[in-house]
Amino acid sequence: MTAQALFIGFFGLAAVWFGIVVFRTHSMVRSALALLFSQTALGAMFLSMQAEFLGVLQIMMMATEMSIMAIFMVMFMMDPGGLGKMDMTHQRRLSLGTGVVAFATAVTIALFVDWGPITSSAPDATQQTVDLGLELLGRSMLIFETAGITILTAMIAATAVAIQPAAGGSRHGR
Amino acid sequence: MTTVLLLMLLAVGAYLVAVIEDWVYRGHVQLSAPLIAGIALLGRESVVPRKPDRIFFETGPVLLLISAVLAATVIPLTPGLIVTDLATGALFFNAALVYVLVALLMAGWGPDGAYAMIGGWRFLGQLIAYAMLIVMPITAVAMRAESLLTMQIVASQSDIWNILYQPVGFVLFFVAAMALAFLPPFDLPTAKGELAGGVEAEYTGARLAIFRLGRLALVITLAAATVTFYLGGWHGPWLPTWAWIAIKILAVTSIMLLAGRYVPRIRESDLLGWCWKLGIPLALLNIFLVGVLALVFP
Repeated sequence: MTAQALFIGFFGLAAVWFGIVVFRTHSMVRSALALLFSQTALGAMFLSMQAEFLGVLQIMMMATEMSIMAIFMVMFMMDPGGLGKMDMTHQRRLSLGTGVVAFATAVTIALFVDWGPITSSAPDATQQTVDLGLELLGRSMLIFETAGITILTAMIAATAVAIQPAAGGSRHGR
Repeated sequence: MTTVLLLMLLAVGAYLVAVIEDWVYRGHVQLSAPLIAGIALLGRESVVPRKPDRIFFETGPVLLLISAVLAATVIPLTPGLIVTDLATGALFFNAALVYVLVALLMAGWGPDGAYAMIGGWRFLGQLIAYAMLIVMPITAVAMRAESLLTMQIVASQSDIWNILYQPVGFVLFFVAAMALAFLPPFDLPTAKGELAGGVEAEYTGARLAIFRLGRLALVITLAAATVTFYLGGWHGPWLPTWAWIAIKILAVTSIMLLAGRYVPRIRESDLLGWCWKLGIPLALLNIFLVGVLALVFP
């Protein structure tokens, strides 16, 4: 239990530290990958909390997502390598205020919500995977399918907007 | 103990991959060739380019090696030989191998060189092409085994191997695995003769040795995964289990390396087009067929 708490604390601090690095660096790629490692640390926290499927999924999904974000940041920013020492922060007061309020809200919720009795140990990982599968194909199916279709529609729409209309009927993408 | 054994086997496997690769390209077997090449690499000066992103430059090759080794920890070699039989083994295998992309992005961006950077970002495009073709065939494999445990996946093939039960999935996974290991004809991020080595271009000496070792470990891990998911793992008549798995892994590795010799390097746009327009519909069909088969012959 103590070791578990130590690991959760360690990965939690790592997640926060990499989150800070996102804004302290000048390089777009470093910023994106720092965010990736912050999310990976979150995945490791899930693993420490014996939520194996969730942890592995988090570690897997974030690597692709953040890498794709990195190329977009490099494409759209004027100083991707950070050699011009561009500042990564903007609207400081607003973001600081929002951050403080969000943090206070999260702490308040964590402290004052009745979480019910705390279970000492989670079911074993195989059972968790089975339960999760039944949940995803049962009660939660509608929610996940709706979210999935929405994202897919958005992706198709974004791609359709990005493609230039073909000039003279020639094939594009070649 | 199992971990040490796995690391030793990976090292031996990586050495054999290097021998086979050498044989494929030069036409004759020389057992000492990788050793000589390795000593030569370690003896050379490891140059750091001007204005590198030092963290990425140093981390890239090491991360490549780590992700290949981590992926190998969930692959069972014989009935008792697996480092960790995770309940999410088949998923963890993917999670570890996604970091090959992160490693190549780091190695591409880190040295501040044009060819390296193009190579790194090219691999991101390559991932968009092959990623679904790794995950979706594994989904069908897990559907048949009704488990993500890799041991269970091997056990599910005791009667009939998955290569016969779901041949479409095997072909897709095999091609996608070659693309993941950036073996020819999918060697877009390194692309000798076109990008002058790409992500490898700015690495020299010990750093290049680690990068190459990581890639060799990646190839052997993917071959072992192909055997686990499709070729029945250690199952086979007459010979002991360790012999079967060794023969199968070496055979898959040889075919992966030989295939690249006779096929020209693919274009990035063609790869994306074929994977998304042909590969993903086939992978969906494969999942559907396996679902029907699993329902009809439980």
